[in-house]
Amino acid sequence: MASTDAAPGRQPIRAGLLTAPLSELATVRLLGSRCEACGETTLGESTTCPNCGSDAVLQLPLSRRGHLWTYTVVRHRPPGNYRGPDPFVPFALGLVELPEGLRVLAPIEADITRLKIGAEVQLRAFVRGRDPDREVVSFAFATLG
Amino acid sequence: MSDVVILGVGIHPFGRFDQSYEEIGAHAARLALRDAGVAWTQIQAAFLSRMYLPATSGARVLRRLGGTDIPIIDVEAACASGGAALRQAVLNIRSGEADLALVLGVEKMPRGFMDPAMIYSPWQIEMGMSLNPSYWSMRAMRHMHEHGTTELQIAKVAYKNHRNSVHNENAMYRKAFGLEEILASPLVCDPIRRLEICAPNDGAAALVVASAERARRIGGRPVHIAACCHTIARYSADFRCPADSMSATAKNPGPTELTARQAYERAGVGPSDIDCFEVQDTDAFCEIEIYEDLGLCARGEGGALADSGRTEIAGDLPVNMSGGLISKGEPVGASHLGQVYEIVNQLRGACGARQVAGAKTGLAHVLGAGGNCAVTILQS
Repeated sequence: MASTDAAPGRQPIRAGLLTAPLSELATVRLLGSRCEACGETTLGESTTCPNCGSDAVLQLPLSRRGHLWTYTVVRHRPPGNYRGPDPFVPFALGLVELPEGLRVLAPIEADITRLKIGAEVQLRAFVRGRDPDREVVSFAFATLG
Repeated sequence: MSDVVILGVGIHPFGRFDQSYEEIGAHAARLALRDAGVAWTQIQAAFLSRMYLPATSGARVLRRLGGTDIPIIDVEAACASGGAALRQAVLNIRSGEADLALVLGVEKMPRGFMDPAMIYSPWQIEMGMSLNPSYWSMRAMRHMHEHGTTELQIAKVAYKNHRNSVHNENAMYRKAFGLEEILASPLVCDPIRRLEICAPNDGAAALVVASAERARRIGGRPVHIAACCHTIARYSADFRCPADSMSATAKNPGPTELTARQAYERAGVGPSDIDCFEVQDTDAFCEIEIYEDLGLCARGEGGALADSGRTEIAGDLPVNMSGGLISKGEPVGASHLGQVYEIVNQLRGACGARQVAGAKTGLAHVLGAGGNCAVTILQS
């Protein structure tokens, strides 16, 4: 299910995070792992449950829609190798609650003056710009409407 | 189980200095030894807390005090490094292996935001998830949403701590910013502003720790370590850097609540028995949340407690008499031992204009990356 080599020429920003094929961006979903023992669902492909340590863990694609549980507006360029717009543009970062019972940290594409906790958002996978020799697929959630 | 005490304390001011970390650290260690009336050659074990310094920093600093063959161990637990190092010294003494130990926290950090490669994965840095204040800010936004906490209440915490720092010769800023000035300072990550967050900087603090029996033979005015606990956040109980997600269903208590509960139990006290607190105010909102986690007020009432004036030096629950990290800065490896330095001086009645009248019990708390949390309770 993981997309590591399913779409030649494209790679996910982190291995085990996105479903294949990366050639069809509109159908890409975040990958999760659900523990058969304790029922917790966590982000990304894993073989061991980070809650109870069980290895009875199943991979599943996560819902594309969720709601904004909290957010902030980042108004200072993050330190290190940040790959967002240059010059820096303030952006929203939020925790998106998904129906599978987890909250995922992600950039939020929205009018930063009109953000509200509880807003409905949807996953958007996209090819990040400015990578000379490869296509890197990143993700964000966008507000609806 | 033998009782463990603090016999002497020393500090190098927190700020930005030309001196090397070895010089800063050795300065604090010398002062602690002098305060304890103990010679370096009598120390049997040493623990150095740091996060941003090279391997064997402890030996590099302490060899400046003279040749030795004692074990010198570097300890790292993010913002709780100082608590983790102190705990190692306490355990060492309780085990009977040593009866006189040195604990030293030292840090020398570059100006600006912390190097994200220390805690974040490359993809998180590339996506813009590596600005530490963004994590605290998201907690603040949720708290405001759930409990009606206001930006003014958050600013009041920064106002109090900056004002307290005017009386602390070891703090970096020592400036009493006005409420309007704080609220007019630029947003870093909504709703947290420039004058409401702490800055990484340089500094050192040191403690001479002894068994109660050894302390009696040496003399002086020892302060009793009633508890020194260190835990990390349980599964998804808490959302802070460098997390990429959290559970929406797990109900575990957060790290401060968990660690404080342990420490209160060990010390046999509750929050109402404690006369003064030094807590992790990496940003002004954190302090509001910590009021609740330490049990100073009910869940959701931290903002109202900030309004009440009870956490002022003259109140019944004084918090961050030293000015807190907001005004002292946060030299990560030294921050908790700097808090302990303040509490020891409060219990000695040596804090001058920022003295809490009649303080007999004090609590120091730190919290940081990975949900590392330490709580130390001291009694005179």
